[in-house]
Amino acid sequence: MIHVENLVKVFDAGTRAVDNLNLKIEAGEIFALLGPNGAGKTTTIRILSTLAGFDEGKVEVAGFDMDHAPEEIRKSIGLVAQQTGIDYLLTGRENLALQGQLYHLKKSEIKQRITELAHYFELTDALDQQVMTYSGGMRRKLDIATALIHKPKLLFLDEPTLGLDIKSRKSLWHYIEKLNKELNLTILLTTHYLEEADKLSHRVAIINQGKICAMDTADALKREIGGDSLTLSFADPDAKTHAFANQLQELDYVSNIIWEGERCHIYVNHGAASVPKIAQLAGEQGIDIAELSLSRATLDDVFLRYTGNSLEEKEEETEEWWHKWAGKGGGGKWAKKWQDQNTDGEIQEPDGGWPNSEEEWSQREQKTQSEEATEHKLTTTNTQAWQQDEKQNTDHTEWQKWQDSEKKNETTENETTENADSSNNKDTNNDWKKWQNQSSDNSPPRPNKK
Amino acid sequence: MLSDTWHLFNKYLIISFRTPLWSLFNLIQPLIWLVIFGQLFRNMAQLPGFPEGSYMDFFVPGVLIMTVLFGSSWSGVSLLREITAGSVDKMLVAPISRVSIVLSRVLHSAVQVMIQAFIILIAAALIGTNINPSFFPLLGGLVVILLLGVGFAALSNGFAIMIQREEPLVVIGNLMTLPLMFFSTAMVPQSFMPDWIAVISQFNPINYAVEAVRGTMVGELNASDFFIGLGVVGAFAAVSLMWAVSAFNGLRD
Repeated sequence: MIHVENLVKVFDAGTRAVDNLNLKIEAGEIFALLGPNGAGKTTTIRILSTLAGFDEGKVEVAGFDMDHAPEEIRKSIGLVAQQTGIDYLLTGRENLALQGQLYHLKKSEIKQRITELAHYFELTDALDQQVMTYSGGMRRKLDIATALIHKPKLLFLDEPTLGLDIKSRKSLWHYIEKLNKELNLTILLTTHYLEEADKLSHRVAIINQGKICAMDTADALKREIGGDSLTLSFADPDAKTHAFANQLQELDYVSNIIWEGERCHIYVNHGAASVPKIAQLAGEQGIDIAELSLSRATLDDVFLRYTGNSLEEKEEETEEWWHKWAGKGGGGKWAKKWQDQNTDGEIQEPDGGWPNSEEEWSQREQKTQSEEATEHKLTTTNTQAWQQDEKQNTDHTEWQKWQDSEKKNETTENETTENADSSNNKDTNNDWKKWQNQSSDNSPPRPNKK
Repeated sequence: MLSDTWHLFNKYLIISFRTPLWSLFNLIQPLIWLVIFGQLFRNMAQLPGFPEGSYMDFFVPGVLIMTVLFGSSWSGVSLLREITAGSVDKMLVAPISRVSIVLSRVLHSAVQVMIQAFIILIAAALIGTNINPSFFPLLGGLVVILLLGVGFAALSNGFAIMIQREEPLVVIGNLMTLPLMFFSTAMVPQSFMPDWIAVISQFNPINYAVEAVRGTMVGELNASDFFIGLGVVGAFAAVSLMWAVSAFNGLRD
């Protein structure tokens, strides 16, 4: 359906927005381009949908060559761009009708398609209202409907759920899967939401700085990197701790180690069993561990491996840190928390010193908001499961837990090991599984992976 | 191509009808000119060498043309808004000719200013201007106004694509409008102009449009002024339109 060879697009400023891209997308596939903002996703979609030219390479869409038959390509594709492009002063029906006219459908055909599409997207009641009155989710649905008026074989979705709330996002996913299954529509979507790529797509290409770093099914990508991810950080990172982490690479159950700043991601096949082993090793060598948490390997881990950056943190930098600050006022939750704990009202320096930047601060803040985070994250973690258990028993903040664990660390055995041990217990394991089951119950069925 | 143009034109028309205030807003400025300038320069008609009739009879064609200039130069601004909103991408990705996209925008803008000019004309008649009531001269005048609207709306769209930003576009619109008005016989007869302005005015399409409207809609009929004006304005519209279409074709990034 799409065949791209050595595609290069250079912008006037000299940046290579798309750098030697190769893609082959089969009919009936949902294919996701996953990458941070500015990775070249939108540029790629604009080229494939005839909106942008390119400098080098060969592009074939729906069986037609881009250089020779862009008009034929236009007839075979539907595009839902990031900006909706529907007219807010027109009604839903008028928007659909105009689109039908531009694709030269007959009057009777337009009428029939409007009825069908409105029914499909559950917009029938709103059809004669101006789009101004629609919610964000409805606008996006109408936008997709207008792109489908001419029954295209191929649908481009550029960040389809950007800016939508969780509920609308999940509902939109449902439609995207339905379109693919029921109409056998080939879909190329771009996203910087890991969950979206993981849930919707048959295959994922990770794109960064205009290049594709990895391309496979989401499962295969995650399997390749090792099933579980351990995140390790130290109380006093120095050469010694660094050497300690690197020597873990030698262990037979460790498949991969990736550094992200001072944090070390260790990929292992049986995470629950490795946690106590690593903690014990650290104890034997007198290394203070600040954090040792376990999670299932996600696409973010894959992304980290291929690009050296975490996609989730980039997302935070660009979108979320100011959000939190704007919402809560300067100083944020942390300052208040520390103020509360000191009766003098004096602000005590948090563990590991004051954060150097707002990003760092909000990252730390993020850690404590594990409940909120689970909603966004691809999979839950053992750590989070026991944190939730802990919260029921004590009122401790996570910082205090860390402090406690370090005190114990100095004397006998570190708490992380204990907790990690408890993660071996059937109870906690069951909790984890329960959560996973729950999450898959709530979400629409996965497509059959190719 | 024509049916695509019609469908898009129709869309813009619906949008205009749903925002009537915005369309009427544009009438305020010409109405102010009509009343205040008409009063202010009233006695100029008594000067020797001034054409016969009241100053209003002389001035109204100028105000009509000014309505066209002010109104049609907004077309580019609305194009930029459509680009930002993604509507233009939606049209570009459809299998339609680029010409029809430009043409529908420009025609819509021209029809809008033509209606506005007609309202000004009625207002002028109400305050006692000597309007020519016969059908064909009125129609002729409206055709000239429509073509001039097409020309300036096309220029505005072309500049919009070249500049890609709203603020400088508005500035250019204003910068263009006033000198074009002053270098024409909109406000004073040619015999009153200094020589150098009279020379420049010979190359100003506005000048011919004003004379054509003057020769049809107001006062004494003058067929030759009309046909010359129609030719000049028609050529101007055609050239601007071609330029706008070529700018639009370059829009592919």
